[in-house]
Amino acid sequence: MKSYRLAASLGAAFVLTASVSTAALAQAPVCSAPVKVLAQPRDGLTLLEDSKDEFKKLSGASFQIDYLNENDRRAKSRADASTVGNYNVYYVDEANVALFASSGWIVPLTDYYPADYDYADFDPGRQKVATYDGKVWFAPLTGGGDLMVYRKDVLEAAGIQPPKTLDELIADVPKLTNADKGIYGIALRGARGSGANVWRWMPFFKAYGGKWFDGDKPAFNSDAAVKATETYLKLFKDSAPGTQTGSWDESTGAFLSGQVAILVESTPLSGMAVDPKTSQVVGKVGFLPPPSPLPGGGYGHGLAIGTKANADDAAKKCAGLFIAWATSKENEKRRLDAHQFGELNRTSVLSSKEFADIYGADLGQALAETGKVTAVNFWQDPRWPDLGDRWGIILEELVTGTRTDIKGGLNELEAYANDLVKKK
Amino acid sequence: MRRRSSLPVTFLVPTLAILLVLSMVPTLYAIVIALQNRELSAPGYSWVWFSNFADLFSDRRFLNAVWVSVKWEIVTVVATMVVAIGLGVLMFEVAGPRLRNFYCLLFIIPVLLPRVSAAFVWKFAYHPLYGIATYPYRLITGGLIFDPLSKPGTALFAVASVDVWQWGLFFAVIVLKLLETLPPQPIEAARLDHAKRWQIHAYVTLPMLKAPLISLMFVKMIESLRSFDLIYVMTRGGPGVATETLDMYAFSQGFIESGKVSYASAMAVLMMIATVITFTMLWKRVQA
Repeated sequence: MKSYRLAASLGAAFVLTASVSTAALAQAPVCSAPVKVLAQPRDGLTLLEDSKDEFKKLSGASFQIDYLNENDRRAKSRADASTVGNYNVYYVDEANVALFASSGWIVPLTDYYPADYDYADFDPGRQKVATYDGKVWFAPLTGGGDLMVYRKDVLEAAGIQPPKTLDELIADVPKLTNADKGIYGIALRGARGSGANVWRWMPFFKAYGGKWFDGDKPAFNSDAAVKATETYLKLFKDSAPGTQTGSWDESTGAFLSGQVAILVESTPLSGMAVDPKTSQVVGKVGFLPPPSPLPGGGYGHGLAIGTKANADDAAKKCAGLFIAWATSKENEKRRLDAHQFGELNRTSVLSSKEFADIYGADLGQALAETGKVTAVNFWQDPRWPDLGDRWGIILEELVTGTRTDIKGGLNELEAYANDLVKKK
Repeated sequence: MRRRSSLPVTFLVPTLAILLVLSMVPTLYAIVIALQNRELSAPGYSWVWFSNFADLFSDRRFLNAVWVSVKWEIVTVVATMVVAIGLGVLMFEVAGPRLRNFYCLLFIIPVLLPRVSAAFVWKFAYHPLYGIATYPYRLITGGLIFDPLSKPGTALFAVASVDVWQWGLFFAVIVLKLLETLPPQPIEAARLDHAKRWQIHAYVTLPMLKAPLISLMFVKMIESLRSFDLIYVMTRGGPGVATETLDMYAFSQGFIESGKVSYASAMAVLMMIATVITFTMLWKRVQA
């Protein structure tokens, strides 16, 4: 009997110890130190900071986000990731994911992204942009393609139908400019950068049949590039003041303050245009896919796990948990409730009734249509930022008139591209 | 026999040693990197010796940056000194002691503003549609648009005006204080000889202040070499490459565009050599 009691006691003690250990293991904090994030300002991330306690409860540590504007964020993250590696999580985008991944500055995300958070729920287009060399590298914070956003009242007053083709757009834009009344036909991006002026120029380049490379041989120095540049410069004559050296902020700012008749821009603009907090043209705006054959510029920005700052697996798991939580369905729902259109990436949210109730059927229809013409317009290669930024400088020179020889600019870029290829 | 004190050595050696380490280590490292072909995206590197330096002289953007830097240096230094001397003399001549104190306080405020804040404030002030600095042009021309930061002919001057706004006004206060320290007798003597006000300053006061004014000019020349933050915020070197100075281009090559840190270091080394030679020659000429 005694031995039975002893065995029972031992068994009970074992079970108790085992369950306590399991419970302790289950509750063991995933993170041992605050997660450091280098990002660019996004409404979704600002909103996320209100839920710091929730992440601390989940992981055992808080997080700290340092913000820099897009160009500065790109420069700083590149310098940091390649040298000291201060940040656990980097904000990366379609233009530099190949460089970060091929340089080993970030690690494949799905190895550390908890399955419960359902990565497959993200919009397939954004998943595609986040994939390089067959691996997924970031979880999307924003993304999409292009939409043509236009002022219904201005077009109606001018007796012009929304352009459906590029030729119609080129013909309509000068007619819509009325500088005396502070209205300009279009707003483009003039500021240098693969993600700035080059980003808006690329749909024209692709529309005229241009391609970046043929194998390892540069193929962009073509009639398509010349025609695209001529068209871009022609349209720039009717672009709102301040956009010649401006980018997304300047062109969308001009539209939202009522100075622009037609704007072909990345999809988050559409959400801003219907939000009274950001737009002075609410109720006057229509949406359509970009005039044919302009392809939309497919893009995606998101969070990736840094290699250097996360030296061991535990640190990588912590960074992975932060990214999963930050881009979770719950947080995306919060962003929808806050009407942060540009911060929505999950199909479960984009196809929800709440989304349709807030943004209406027109925008949903336009988004569905533009998805069909959205394409990857840039050269998907680690050397793209280098090449794209170089063209950005030349294009800015052409836009602002410090040089006028389009062909000379393309020749210069081709020589640069040949050097890049040789170095590979 | 006089015993030599060890006090100067005790104070000087540690200070100079720290200074030497702080200045020489990064300088030597920059020279070493300039002789290699390091890039941020590639862990490996090799010695290319003077190849980066040779490449610079066939790089049109580098040559443009040299020219822009020279223009920037001349425009900002000359304009700052002209504004400083002009305003300093004007305050000395027309303002009473209380008004002078008020102007001094007012003129010191711009230089106390952080450079980046000043750059942002003026970037908005130069906005073609909403800017307060472009408003008079819109008013006079009936609404015509003037965008000084996106015009190649005006961008450098628009950015330089912010530099002069900060430093010219501050230097004006210094010039005023220098004028106030001058002995009154020579000025009185000139007045008795019926010299006009401008003649008094041109031939008496300013020549008496030659040494401090030259020192001020050197301070401004060094300060003008460090205008990266102002240019970066206001134009990023644009439109095109119209305001791309050497430091701006070096940073762009090292960290924004291609991650060519060796190429950027070669530029930094050349800038250092050119600066040392130029300043030494100028200093010797002034001393002579």
